[in-house]
Amino acid sequence: MGRTYVADDTVQKYLSSLHTAGGVCITGLLIGQLSLQRDYVLLSTKTPHRDSDGPGEGHSSSGLLDDADLEWATEHAKQVSQMLPGGMSVLGVFLIVPPELSKEAPSTLRRLVFAIEKHISKGRLWDLTEEDITERVTLQICSKTKKALCRSFDIKDPKSSAKPADWKYQPVSSSSWPLVTCTVALDLQISLPLKSLDDICIKEGLRSWANRIKAAVCLINGKLVADESELVPGQKKNPKMGKQKFQVQVLLQTLEDMGSSAVTQCCRSFISIRGAVHCRAYLQPNKPRAKHAVEAIRKDLMNTVSCRVNMLMEDLLMNEFNDQGVMTGVQPLPHRVFVALPASDFRLCDYVFPDESIADVAERLHEMLDSRVTEESIDSSLEPTHAKTPMSSRTADPIQHSRASKQHIEAPKDIKKSNMQQYYTGDFYIPLLIYIYIYIYIYINRTVVI
Amino acid sequence: MVLVDDGAMILRLGGGLEFLCQLDVSDASQRQLEVSRSFADLRSRVKAESLVFSLTDSALFIWPNKSFQASLDDVDESTACGELLQSEDDDGGGKKKKKDKKSPVVNLRFMMEITEPTEPSAPCLYRENKKHHCIRMVLPMDCVVTVRSDETFGSSCKRLLRALSTQLSEMEAVTLRHMKDTDVPVPRPFHFSLPTSTELVTIVYPASVDDKGLESFRKELHNRFELPDDRPYFRRSNAFHFPDEPYKTREQNYHHYMQDRMDDNGWGCAYRSLQTICSWFRQQGYMERTVPTHKEIQQALVDVGDKPAAFVGSRQWIGSIEVQAVLSHLLGVTSKILFVSQGSELPSQGRELANHFLTEGTPVMIGGGVLAHTILGVAWSETSGKIRFLILDPHYTGGEDLQTITDKGWCGWKGPEFWDQNAYYNLCLPQRPKAI
Repeated sequence: MGRTYVADDTVQKYLSSLHTAGGVCITGLLIGQLSLQRDYVLLSTKTPHRDSDGPGEGHSSSGLLDDADLEWATEHAKQVSQMLPGGMSVLGVFLIVPPELSKEAPSTLRRLVFAIEKHISKGRLWDLTEEDITERVTLQICSKTKKALCRSFDIKDPKSSAKPADWKYQPVSSSSWPLVTCTVALDLQISLPLKSLDDICIKEGLRSWANRIKAAVCLINGKLVADESELVPGQKKNPKMGKQKFQVQVLLQTLEDMGSSAVTQCCRSFISIRGAVHCRAYLQPNKPRAKHAVEAIRKDLMNTVSCRVNMLMEDLLMNEFNDQGVMTGVQPLPHRVFVALPASDFRLCDYVFPDESIADVAERLHEMLDSRVTEESIDSSLEPTHAKTPMSSRTADPIQHSRASKQHIEAPKDIKKSNMQQYYTGDFYIPLLIYIYIYIYIYINRTVVI
Repeated sequence: MVLVDDGAMILRLGGGLEFLCQLDVSDASQRQLEVSRSFADLRSRVKAESLVFSLTDSALFIWPNKSFQASLDDVDESTACGELLQSEDDDGGGKKKKKDKKSPVVNLRFMMEITEPTEPSAPCLYRENKKHHCIRMVLPMDCVVTVRSDETFGSSCKRLLRALSTQLSEMEAVTLRHMKDTDVPVPRPFHFSLPTSTELVTIVYPASVDDKGLESFRKELHNRFELPDDRPYFRRSNAFHFPDEPYKTREQNYHHYMQDRMDDNGWGCAYRSLQTICSWFRQQGYMERTVPTHKEIQQALVDVGDKPAAFVGSRQWIGSIEVQAVLSHLLGVTSKILFVSQGSELPSQGRELANHFLTEGTPVMIGGGVLAHTILGVAWSETSGKIRFLILDPHYTGGEDLQTITDKGWCGWKGPEFWDQNAYYNLCLPQRPKAI
């Protein structure tokens, strides 16, 4: 019995709008929600263009995807997965191939889907459990006939083979999907012992915080609800109920006894992470249970914290690399903003550093999700904001910084390219102007001489 | 004794609070201030709106600092505490647990809510690169209030909050008093029931200091509560046992033949009886070392000069005199010896034995004929002279099966006919040491 994937009509529209030129394939992501009965595909986006110096794009002699393409696609998947609220995830991939390359498509899809899952789960504070659905979808579309072949793989089993799956298009009304939200106050204290590595300690600290979150009691709309009980009893009777909203409260259990003496460690550094973060999750509309709501919010909370801390750490590392020294004092964590995609009620999110602007967010959304959003539709009010930090406290090059969170993961060629642009800007035109000036001078003098 | 009379119940609040403190590496004088500051921070945390009380095994959550918000609609500030006993059963499943209705202890745990912050601030990471000692421990909070069952839940919660704050202050005092440099003992509360008080008294002890080291503190407590100096009330083993708690340690351990892989079938009964007595002293807190093995008992007798060196490792019997000697040497316990020339005369010792159990309460070793036993109690009627003895028989060679042990009478009440009517018996009556 294969899985059923119900894809929204907008997905169909998008996939048919993608045209390939010549013998070129297009890879992309399928985004939505996994559930026991069926999986919903709500959004799809192609892998963004990777600037390569080579002649062709995405097509090399060694199969449909070379290693650089694969790395690019998995990085794109990771970036996109960080833009998804709770309950939503990257369900799988699609591949549009010309008929002559369709033989290699299944193995490429398999490579892609496993690599993406591996990359996305790196650094995650939670692991897949028995309760989680581990099937991922691959959609192979022939660029000529537009025929789609849908298969699924169990990413828990590295040796799993493709299983046939059903793919059908159906309008998915986002308004009937229950929404679960909460605002969480963070208070993490991490000590860094002598002779320890920063990132290992921080990872440890995040992990022990995540364990407390996993053990925490979650109340839904102020009450303790049994795991298996339905969130919205009798929903089928009233389909026009409007969006159901649920507020979750997270209560941390107290800690276990430690013994007869306090633990004393000699430490070189101390890190404290504080502030309020907004968490959001969507639940599929078919009889969602309390445990789904709780799991979705928990995962969203853990993801948003680990994502932001990692982004900040990478940013600080870049600054250290540029001789700014180890950052101390208060560092603002990126701020979470939410934006509804056109023709959908689902809000995706993005993270903004204090010196980035809403325009940067719009641009990133366009690049990552191939979607145009207006700046007005970006909601930055759900979390308290920092005061804008002056440019001088960040790296000297504003262009380099505004893409800092993305730049280090782009292929190194891009950094080189922007340096080259500077070269062009600075050192190319000045000699040219000099030549023009000399030419004019000679011309004028010649005329005078005559 | 704590009197839980009709209409009274105990509300017990527990939980672990994380204590975190950064101590300067070089400047020792600042350390006490830092510790005090961390405790002050914890005291303000328990006053925060994010503190939540949860009733164990139920769906009830209360925010005592947030105008008594509750997760169940039928519970509010004016709910009587007695009704909480009903709430404990009803966890939404509708199943009524087999609960001891006489048990008047309501257990609450505190938790911290991390959602809905009152003053949300933008998320930041703060880093300080300074060498320091990081002290981390979990404070095992344990507060108890005795309430009437018609007292409102709101007022009892207020009392619990005060108790929580007070306990933190007491923990601070104990920590400051007993910390050495960066070595910090965990302050642990114990509850005691005293003859001079109807409510439980809670004392905080540093976990890493043993009872011996706390003797002077106990003297102060005896003075404060006007208690006699000859018997302990404040040792850790004297702590009040809550009705709903499982027994952590039995009154004494049942030592019998063939235990601990020691094949002493036929010769070791007096040794086993002695071991049972030692375990009683250990449970009561008079002895901290482990119960002595056969070899250790024999060695003790050699050490006091009672037996030759060859005694160690032999299978020789010992009698009540030897038991007295070992108790004196290893535990510092003196014992009275009683002698009856005939087993039939034992009932006449009824008064003496009853008195012993009333005042000392220690198990009695009785040896005679060729057997030794342990007497744990006596039921004696002054008017009729009828007597029964609660005997723990060390001749049992079976496994640790309580059912068999009690069913077959290896531990049970015996009449005077149990004894060999013609044999003479020696009884060793250990005296409880006069110490606190």
